[in-house]
Amino acid sequence: MPRKLFHPLQVVLSWLFLAVFLIGCSPAASTPDSPAEQPAEAAGQPVATDVPAAAPVQPIRVGASISLTGRYERTGAEMNHGYELCADKLNAEGGILGRPLEYIIYDDQSDPETGARLYEKLISEDNVDVILGPYSSPVTIPASAVTERLRYPMIASGASASDIWSRGFDYVFGIYTGAPFYLEGAVDIAAREGLTKVAVLTEDGAFAIDAVRGAMEFAEEAGLEIVHYEEYGRDVTDLSAAISKARAAGAEVLLGGTYGPDAELIVRQSVELGFTPRIFAFTVGPALPDFGENMGQDAELIFGATQWEPTIQGPGVEEFVQAYWDRYGYEPGYHAAGGFGACELLKYAIEEAGSVDQEKIRDALASLDTVTVYGAYRVDETGAQVAKPSYLIQWQNGKRVIVWPFDAAEADYILP
Amino acid sequence: MSLIRKSPASKEKPGFFTGASAMSLDHVLLIQIVLSGLLLGAVYALLAAGLNLIFGVMQVINVSHGDLMMLGAFITFTLYAQFGLNPLLSLLVSVPILFAIGWLLQWAVVHRVVGQPPLMSLLMTWGLALSIRNAGLYFFTANYRSVSAFRGAFELGPIALSRSRTIAFIAALVITALVWFFLQRTTFGKAVRATAQSSEVAQICGIDVARVRLVTFGLAAALAGAAGSLLITTLTINPSIGGPVILRAFAIIVIGGMGSFGGALLGALIVGVTEALSAFFFTTQLAEAAIYLLLILVLLIRPSGFFGAAEE
Repeated sequence: MPRKLFHPLQVVLSWLFLAVFLIGCSPAASTPDSPAEQPAEAAGQPVATDVPAAAPVQPIRVGASISLTGRYERTGAEMNHGYELCADKLNAEGGILGRPLEYIIYDDQSDPETGARLYEKLISEDNVDVILGPYSSPVTIPASAVTERLRYPMIASGASASDIWSRGFDYVFGIYTGAPFYLEGAVDIAAREGLTKVAVLTEDGAFAIDAVRGAMEFAEEAGLEIVHYEEYGRDVTDLSAAISKARAAGAEVLLGGTYGPDAELIVRQSVELGFTPRIFAFTVGPALPDFGENMGQDAELIFGATQWEPTIQGPGVEEFVQAYWDRYGYEPGYHAAGGFGACELLKYAIEEAGSVDQEKIRDALASLDTVTVYGAYRVDETGAQVAKPSYLIQWQNGKRVIVWPFDAAEADYILP
Repeated sequence: MSLIRKSPASKEKPGFFTGASAMSLDHVLLIQIVLSGLLLGAVYALLAAGLNLIFGVMQVINVSHGDLMMLGAFITFTLYAQFGLNPLLSLLVSVPILFAIGWLLQWAVVHRVVGQPPLMSLLMTWGLALSIRNAGLYFFTANYRSVSAFRGAFELGPIALSRSRTIAFIAALVITALVWFFLQRTTFGKAVRATAQSSEVAQICGIDVARVRLVTFGLAAALAGAAGSLLITTLTINPSIGGPVILRAFAIIVIGGMGSFGGALLGALIVGVTEALSAFFFTTQLAEAAIYLLLILVLLIRPSGFFGAAEE
C-alpha cells in the first residue's frame, strides 16, 4: 500500500494547534513562581549559591539536594525558597558563629536514587560543612541512609514518614509532626463532645494507614468505639458502599486517611447519600485551598489536619510570611516554612555545638528544645519530632481557620 | 436504627438474608449501590466506545485515550472556573475541540501505524499519552480539580441517586445513542462500519478510507472528551488521571468485546455493577481487584468478550 511521505508540516501544525489550545485553556490564576527563580539545571549542576563577596572568614557550606524538577517540583521549590530566605536573613544578621552561610543546592529531579547519590557527592566530593534534608519522604529515606553511613546529621526538612525513624538511625532528625498525630485533634474534639461512634475510611497507602492507626489509638484511649473500618485503593471512584456501611453502623464521627481527592469523594458521596456525621475529619485534603474551590458549600464545617499555617502564632512567623510574600509574591505553605525552620534549627544546633563538628551537631540536635518559624522542636530517642502538634483546621464561612490545639486556635470549632 | 443488620466486626458475612424486615431494607441499600455502580459505568462506556471504534476500524489500540479524556475534563473545569459555564453546555466546547484534536492526531501521526504490527501502534499512542499528560501537568498544574455544579441527590423514595452521577449517566446514554444512530443510519456511519469489516473491500467500493479513519479517530476523541467533561463533575482528578482510567477502559473493552460498540456499553455497565457489588459484599479495596478477576474469567470462558466476534 503506497504511503504518503512524512510531511513535516503536518506534525508542526498539529503540535502548534495543541500548544495554542493548551495555552488558551491554562488557568490564569495559577500560583505565580518566583520572579527571582533561576532556571532549573540538570542534576549535578549547582543551582543556587549565596556567596558573600570578599568574606574575611571561611563560609559555612551547607549542602542539600531538593526536587527542583519532576513530580515534587512545586513543593520542592517552595522548600528551597524557605532555605534561601533563611540564609539571607542569617547572613544579614552576621551568619552563624560569625561565618556566612553558603548553599550548595543540587536538583534530584524528584528521584530517590538521584537524591541519595547527590548526598554522597555533597559530602565526599564537595566536602560541605553541614547538610540539610531533601524534599519528600521517598527521597529522604534513601538519602538519610547515605548520610547515616557517612555520619552526617540530617535535619529532615521535608519528610514525615514514620519509616524514617523506625530504622534505628542516629543521625536523622525530624521537624514534621508524625503521621500518627494528624487526627489527634479530631478525636479530642469528638471525646469532648461526648461522641462515641467512629468510622474510619482510609486509603491503603503507608502514610494514610500510619495516620489512622495513630488516630485509632487516640480514640481507644479516649474510650471511643470504632464502628466501621475500611480501606480502599488509591484510584477509588465510588465509596457509596463504604459510606452506607458507616452510616448503618451509626457513625457520629468520620475519620479519613486521605491524600486529597478521596476526601472530596467521601464528602460528596456522604452528602448525596444523606450521611451526616457530626465530625468529618481528614488527614490531607481540607487544608489545601483547592478543597474549598472544588467543594463549594459542601466544604463548610469539614475538619482537616495541617502541619503549619501562615496564621499560626509564633516567633518570627509574621515576618517570615511577609518576607515570603515580598520576595515570591504568594503565600508560603508549610513546605516553605519547613525549609526555613530547618535552616533556623541548623543555626541553633551549630551554635550549641560551637563548631561544625558533625558529632557535636548531632548531639545538639538530639537534645535541643527550641522553637522555629515552623513551630516547637524536640525529638525522642529515635530522632522523631515530638514537640510540635498537628494543627486541625475547619472550614468556616468559606475560610480555613485553626481550631485545635486550643491554645493556638483562631476560632472555636463548630459542630452541625 | 441500622440499615443492614450485622455487626461491623463480621464484615465478611453480609446480613442479606437475616430476616424478612431487614431484607427489604437490605434490598433498598443493594439497589442503591447497584444503581451507583451503573451510573458511573455509563461514563466509562463513552470512553470504551471510542476505544472500540478506533480498534474496530483501524486495529489500533489507543493508549492515549485516557489522556484525551483528561483534556475534555480540564476544558470543562477551565470554562467552569473562569466563566461559570454549566458542564453540560461545556460539552459543546469540549466535544468539538477533542474532535479536532483527534482528527489532527490521526492526520499527523496515527495513520502511519495503521496496518503496522500492534507494537508499533502501542508505542506510538503511548508516546502520545505521555506527551498529552505532561502537557496537561504543565498547563493545568498537578492540582486536583473538580466541578461541583450538581450537588446533592435525587430522592426516589428511600433511594438517593447522586445528582451529578445521574446527570452524567443520562448525558452519556444520549451521546452513546446519537453515535449509535450515526453509525447505523447515516451513509457515513455505514462507511465506517464497512471499513471496520474490511478496509480493502471498502476502498474498492469507493469509500474514502483515509477520510473514514480521520472521522473515526476524531469521533473517538470527541467521545473521550465528553466522558472527561462528565467525569469531572463527579470525581476530583488531576492531569495524571489518564493512566488509571485507561487500564479500566481496557478491562471494559475486553470484557464487553474488542471492537464492538455495544460491547463497550455492556462491558462498562457490567464492570460498574461488579465493582459496586464487591464493595457491598466484601470491601472497597477488593472492588478493583474484582474487575480484573472478572476479566480473567471472561478471558477463560469467552475470550472474545460478551459481544466480540468469535473469529480472528
